[in-house]
Amino acid sequence: MAVIGEYDVIVVGAGHAGCEAAWASSRMGYETLLVTIHLETIAQMSCNPAVGGLAKGHLVREIDALGGLMGRITDETGIQFRLLNSTRGAAVQAPRAQCDKAKYRLMMKHWLENTPHLTIFQAIVTEIMVRDGKVKGIRTLDGSEFIGRAVILTPGTFLNGLIHIGLQSYPAGRANEPPSLELSQCLRRLGLKIIRLKTGTPMRLDRHTIDWSYFTPQPGDEEPVPFSFWTKKKLENKIVCYLGYTNEKTHEIIRRNLDKSPLYSGKIKGIGPRYCPSIEDKVVKFPHHNRHQFFLEPEGIDTAEIYVNGLSSSLPLEVQMEILKSIPGLDQAKILRPAYGIEYDAVLPTQLKPNLEVLEIENLFLAGQINGTSGYEEAAAQGLMAGINACLKLRGEPPFILRRDQAYIGVLIDDLISRGVEEPYRLFTSRAEYRLNLRIDNADQRLTPYGYKLGLISEDDYRLFLEKKERLQRAMVFLESQKISIPESGILTLKNYLKMPKVFFNDVIKYAAQLKELSPEERRFLEAEIKYEGYLKKQQREIEELSKVDEVRIPPNFNFQEVPGLTREAIEKLAKFNPSTLGEAKRIPGITPAAIINLLVYFKKKKPESNKKDHLDVSRET
Amino acid sequence: MNREIDLASTIVAIATPPGVGALGIIRISGPAALEIASKIFQGKHELSPWHLVQGNLFDFESGEFFDEATAVYFPASRSYTREDMVELICHGSPVILEEVVRLALKAGARMAHPGEFTLRAYLNGRIDLLQAEAVNDLIRATSLRQARLSFYQLNGRLSRKIDGLRESLIYILSQIEAAIEFPDEGILLDKEQIRKKIKEVIGELDKLIESHNLGEAMMRGVTLALVGRANVGKSTLFNALLEKDRAIVSPFPGTTRDYLEEKIKIDDLIFNLVDMAGLGKPDHPVEEEGIRRGRQLASQAEGLLIILDNSQPLCDADLEILSLARDKKAIFVLNKIDLPAQIEREKLNALAGGSKLIEVSALFRLNLDKLKRSIAEVFSPALNKNYENVIFHWREKAALERTKEALTQVLEKQNGGYSDEIIAEELRLAADTLGQLTGEIKSEEIINAIFSEFCIGK
Ligand SMILES: Nc1nc2c(ncn2[C@@H]2O[C@H](COP(=O)(O)OP(=O)(O)OP(=O)(O)O)[C@@H](O)[C@H]2O)c(=O)[nH]1
Ligand SMILES: [Mg+2]
Repeated sequence: MAVIGEYDVIVVGAGHAGCEAAWASSRMGYETLLVTIHLETIAQMSCNPAVGGLAKGHLVREIDALGGLMGRITDETGIQFRLLNSTRGAAVQAPRAQCDKAKYRLMMKHWLENTPHLTIFQAIVTEIMVRDGKVKGIRTLDGSEFIGRAVILTPGTFLNGLIHIGLQSYPAGRANEPPSLELSQCLRRLGLKIIRLKTGTPMRLDRHTIDWSYFTPQPGDEEPVPFSFWTKKKLENKIVCYLGYTNEKTHEIIRRNLDKSPLYSGKIKGIGPRYCPSIEDKVVKFPHHNRHQFFLEPEGIDTAEIYVNGLSSSLPLEVQMEILKSIPGLDQAKILRPAYGIEYDAVLPTQLKPNLEVLEIENLFLAGQINGTSGYEEAAAQGLMAGINACLKLRGEPPFILRRDQAYIGVLIDDLISRGVEEPYRLFTSRAEYRLNLRIDNADQRLTPYGYKLGLISEDDYRLFLEKKERLQRAMVFLESQKISIPESGILTLKNYLKMPKVFFNDVIKYAAQLKELSPEERRFLEAEIKYEGYLKKQQREIEELSKVDEVRIPPNFNFQEVPGLTREAIEKLAKFNPSTLGEAKRIPGITPAAIINLLVYFKKKKPESNKKDHLDVSRET
Repeated sequence: MNREIDLASTIVAIATPPGVGALGIIRISGPAALEIASKIFQGKHELSPWHLVQGNLFDFESGEFFDEATAVYFPASRSYTREDMVELICHGSPVILEEVVRLALKAGARMAHPGEFTLRAYLNGRIDLLQAEAVNDLIRATSLRQARLSFYQLNGRLSRKIDGLRESLIYILSQIEAAIEFPDEGILLDKEQIRKKIKEVIGELDKLIESHNLGEAMMRGVTLALVGRANVGKSTLFNALLEKDRAIVSPFPGTTRDYLEEKIKIDDLIFNLVDMAGLGKPDHPVEEEGIRRGRQLASQAEGLLIILDNSQPLCDADLEILSLARDKKAIFVLNKIDLPAQIEREKLNALAGGSKLIEVSALFRLNLDKLKRSIAEVFSPALNKNYENVIFHWREKAALERTKEALTQVLEKQNGGYSDEIIAEELRLAADTLGQLTGEIKSEEIINAIFSEFCIGK
């Protein structure tokens, strides 16, 4: 077979994970090949036309802070922007944007096409070549071979995808796009444990056939908040979304047709996400709700397609049409694309190392939906981390691993590799133990220095970051020293004033006009740091305490049999995962606290054998 | 004490109490339990899971047998420690038992630390921390009632209660989290409902915290100081309550100079009685020191028995002593009622105020039962409450109090208009603190705390 080319890194799949991975590795100077089935569908938003939301918006900020692309491209192609939870505290505020899907794709493609060291190629990958437990490259449908020192696999829902509409099903990766059957088989052959998951997408309607007067407009924010720390242009809302409700009639139709649902007739075997239920799920699980809400979201400016967020379904097309008929305002609506459910293969992510490398296959990295996640943002975050870590591996440097207290990215990857998944995994802010510190306003403070060191942040951007950092420090000193006098509380510093509940940054500005120069993002940061100060300090102490155990180092290729008291099972697991710290060992599934204690005792003090005393000191068991 | 946790070695200990008994039991637990036991014990059959095997004890050094014994092998899957375990039952002579232990040590075992079998059961996940404590309590039970409560605790009754409270908190938390995570779903938080639920949990916590008073009285005892002027009959009353001649009694004031402490049991409760020098004007430097210590003891005690002499008028010293009752629970004991009354009763009644006044004759043992009943009622008010769960340990009480504190914060912060994620933070803290009660291993700090727990119980 013909070897067509040789690369440092080959990325298979150009979805949200693949794009970030390819961007990172080429940006870090490695010759990278990005292979995709269709050049037209690079960075396709297969489901809803939105980026961000709670935890997801946090992820995008983190990706951005590290030098990834998702935030910048969302800002470029967003058509409506909202900051969610704006009435709650900073830690749980997150941006969300409706994007123009077509523009998003084009913008990403354009960006990647102009990235040095990156080659894009259209092909169907059928095989990952592995020799002696190490990845060698890929083979495509026509038999061409590409040699790669590292391979990052990001096939999304294409692995053995099976689309269901009613009781009909056909193999596909996305509607009418061919699935990857060979690749899934190849992974099985390589010995990976595969799980079956399910997700779904709602119908797309023709905007001209909707009577909009029946729905409540949901406009964007007056002052849109950008995703990227480096976006300077003013963002504009170009569209409005609408809110509507189903009714008893709708539910009646669904109940009557449940036997035609692949899910309820038992045809679908995969497990679907609880947090993103199909409309039939909602009707069945909440029989006492007499209505369910949905949103009508335009898929772009130049298209008539309207995404019906909330009506995901795998019922037959004729039932979908009947459902629409039952909803005033949609009764004349024409379906442009039917809703469908899709089952696909994923790799049980407990088979990965924290750097997203497959345990058993050196230099093979997995990212995105293949690891059991759902969502563009989760995929992009993993893609970025896989791209970075593939390069670090090739460089022979230690992996870049974010801890749970450092980033949502750390929470995400740690959850995946230590717990595995049973349903498509979605990130929530409540999954983070240290939520008050993992904020959108400090993502750059937390992560940009890493991004710069890794070579993902340009000198110009980094300079802006440093300037901002200094501005924030100056402002903080000012707030700590400047005193004011207010009627009920007497004389106090601006900082202590801001600490009071129901006092916000705008109230402080009344007393100190020079703070006006701070951007909204900077104000959010200062307000959060001050309001959460007590909690943040406490958490910091806790983190330090925990990291004392977590940071105990385990020498490379350590023989775990040397540690007395470990069960055979524990020794096998440890040998397989080869953790470099006790913290990593702790996260290996099936490793018990008792095993950790054994390791801790062994590594902290290799104490001399003092057990075999000759004299008798009999103590009694109590 | 900060001892290393080590699950690697095989441990051995005598399980039966010291002294000669008809039978004695030796326990061996750990990876090499079977191997070590097989060296010391030669059975008629091979040791197999859960079978009682008869055989002889064998000194593998001298090659001689030294006792008959039976042995049971418990494989790790279902043993007490969740490790391989062997129990050897032989005759109860200390010489034999110690010989078995000596041989086990020779064969590679190590002496078990106090509580280590239970510690291992905990670390290996067989029981939680509350249950582990219950084991200790059960072994040391001083009354059937305490034993019963500890038994239920060992069976997980308290753990279930705590888990239930924790679940309530997590349920409340999940409502708040849902509103935070899905801001577009129009989830409205019913603040009043949340407050009500939290108050319910606080109410349950209060009950548990309050029960510690009873638990304490059952386990450690409540310390009561006998205070009064010299010669009022403190030592006589002390002896009478103990029902033995423990303290020296004499007609001369200043007889008791150092203090004496003894336990008495009233119902299921333990009281530590402290007899001491009479408080008043010292006649002698030794007495002076006794008085100083007496005052100190009185101030440290959890309650006071203030003793007065019926046959003497009230004097300044009496009045000063009476005033001690101002900051402590106290019972007034009017002693020597067999003698003609000289004390000004009107005045005394007025001074006693709300405190109980019991008339006794320590010498003739009059009214002592009444005094005992009053002691139980006054110093352990929780006695007659029928608690489902009783908290026996400070660790538990402290965790419950911390949880309550966090929940109080939740209520306050909610009132103060703080944002939902801060409320959630406090709720999480409360749930975590409750979780620590049953002993989730979270950090080295907690691991260390477990150590010391097991050392407190010895
Ligand atoms: N009649 C009568 N005499 C009593 C009674 N209680 C104690 N006494 C006598 O009072 C004297 C003093 O008794 P103690 O018990 O030594 O008095 P105390 O308060 O311990 O005295 P100090 O140790 O000196 O402070 C002894 O002679 C006792 O026999 C009583 O109830 N009735
Ligand atoms: Mg005396």
